[in-house]
Amino acid sequence: MIHVSNLKKAYILGTQTLEVLKGINFSIEKGEYVAIMGPSGSGKSTLMNIIGCLDSPTYGSYKLNNVEVSDMSDDKLSNVRNREIGFVFQSFNLLPRNTALENVMLPLQYAGINKEQRREKAKKALIQVNLGDRMDHKPSEMSGGQQQRVAIARALVTNPSIVFADEPTGNLDTQTGEEILKIFRDLHNNGQTIILITHELEVANEANRVIFIKDGLIEYDKIN
Amino acid sequence: MPIQESISSALDSIRANKLRSILTTLAIIIGTAAVIAMVAMGSSAQKALDESISDLGARTINVYPTSSRQGATNTSNIPLDIKDALALLKDKEIPWQIAPEIRGSRQIKFGSENSNLQIVGSNPEFFSIRGYEIDQGILFNEKDSLSRKRVAVLGSKVANELKTSSKALLNNDVFISNVAFKVIGIIKEEGSGWGPNPDEQIYVPLYTASDRIFGTETIGSINVNFPVEYRTEEVMIAIERVLRREHDIGPGEENNFRINDWGQALDLQKQATSIFFALIIGIASISLMVGGIGVMNIMLVSVTERTREIGLRKALGATKNIILLQFIIEAIILCLIGGFIGVILGSIIYFLVALWQDWPMVFPLVAIIGSVSFSALVGLFFGIWPARRAASLEPAVALRYE
Ligand SMILES: Nc1ncnc2c1ncn2[C@@H]1O[C@H](COP(=O)(O)OP(=O)(O)O)[C@@H](O)[C@H]1O
Ligand SMILES: [Mg+2]
Repeated sequence: MIHVSNLKKAYILGTQTLEVLKGINFSIEKGEYVAIMGPSGSGKSTLMNIIGCLDSPTYGSYKLNNVEVSDMSDDKLSNVRNREIGFVFQSFNLLPRNTALENVMLPLQYAGINKEQRREKAKKALIQVNLGDRMDHKPSEMSGGQQQRVAIARALVTNPSIVFADEPTGNLDTQTGEEILKIFRDLHNNGQTIILITHELEVANEANRVIFIKDGLIEYDKIN
Repeated sequence: MPIQESISSALDSIRANKLRSILTTLAIIIGTAAVIAMVAMGSSAQKALDESISDLGARTINVYPTSSRQGATNTSNIPLDIKDALALLKDKEIPWQIAPEIRGSRQIKFGSENSNLQIVGSNPEFFSIRGYEIDQGILFNEKDSLSRKRVAVLGSKVANELKTSSKALLNNDVFISNVAFKVIGIIKEEGSGWGPNPDEQIYVPLYTASDRIFGTETIGSINVNFPVEYRTEEVMIAIERVLRREHDIGPGEENNFRINDWGQALDLQKQATSIFFALIIGIASISLMVGGIGVMNIMLVSVTERTREIGLRKALGATKNIILLQFIIEAIILCLIGGFIGVILGSIIYFLVALWQDWPMVFPLVAIIGSVSFSALVGLFFGIWPARRAASLEPAVALRYE
């Protein structure tokens, strides 16, 4: 499903070039639950942005479902993000003035689905993450754990092939974090492909496979 | 994504920032309000002027003697007198109506009250030329004048001056310079325009005035009323021809009388009014442009503030065009809201001014459509740049933005 070979990413900061990814190679198959782990600043988010089609590499090849992503047009990339990928971020990234339901409906709006169906699907997704009773709440009226569950519902509502979660427990206490990880585990058990980004070993060990990144290169890639 | 969803999503974000949105559109509101108020006031004022011209039915020219200050250098200074009016009356080239006017201030007494008021001596045509209508009683006629009858028609406010009511005066005697005059009529309230207030004057037959009050045939002016089919210039030439002959003015000598055309004055005033309003509309349009720049600025701030939101929307699948459309629509809606508030505000201002000035009301439809669509255009024009900026944000960079 995902094939990355000799992937490099450098940022140009003034006169200096910051090489963040120095040649990454891996493949991820459908149904896998993979953790990308590494110390802070090691380039995990940069890597996720590239394989999540939010950013492009400086060098190397990234094939998603056998299609070279760098060949895709801007609109095609939006389309892929909309249909194939679901994102969960560390800081939830919900629209603060909209209700939980409206937040979950948003990606469906970009998919061109009518309002009635959007509402139905969004409700189902919220019920799936146990928020059936919080649909009309705004983010400010919910706990961090609840907000992250809204974000997960939003990621799932389009039935994506892959869910990316970048430090999804980073802003949560341990217990709430475990609840979130439980949701990912259940999703995986139902066949969802998940890529989890974290700097914590305990979190990474939730996944079936861990890719450890350090200094822009893969230090190890092992099955748990 | 269908357009109505872009609109409702734009409305959402405007609603989320109510105060900022209103402040953003302040200049648009002011500009539109000024355009609406000015255009409406302008057309009202024009309409009022048009009505006051057509009120006359026919047009009126006034003839005055040259004042001694304007002193005829070449000719002797001859005043106008009743004979001049008669000469005009006899001339049949143009079917005009002639009303000579003798006027002067005299003491008026009724019972123990007295006051100094303008006495106007003229013929019955005077009332129709001036558009004065009888309210109570009757007007005097030609015979009253020829027989020097002591009758008077009063302006509607004369009774006030004499601290009594019009009813009490009607068919009773008032004393003008200690001579008794019977009040036979009261005219309707006219309201003051140029010159002396017609409501505070006393009207008597021409020869009564010349023989019994002023003791002179010298008149102050001649009102010449002519049908609209005739051009003002040809009427003026006809008057000049008659009076030059009457005054024995040789070729090459200057007139010793003055011809005034009120219609011309009204035309000039109309022109001045429209120039004035055009100027204000120009200023208002500049204010709309300034408003547009304000909207652009706020939109740029808004794009920066919402960088993360834009990044998120792109991560969730929004295309460049969706983001572009969202921000353009937002700018247009902002300007439209400003435009609508401006229309309402401008209409209220106009309504109050028109009420106060007693202007005829007009509905400035063209101005409303024009200024609202102009504000939409301003929104489109000034919204494009911020919207393009939002649309071209890189999602990964936008999501990292703090
Ligand atoms: N857009 C960018 N411009 C410049 N430097 C960046 C940018 N994005 C990330 N970096 C830098 O790249 C390095 C890796 O960042 P990141 O991928 O966020 O690390 P991680 O998620 O592993 O903590 C950091 O040093 C960061 O400062
Ligand atoms: Mg990171």
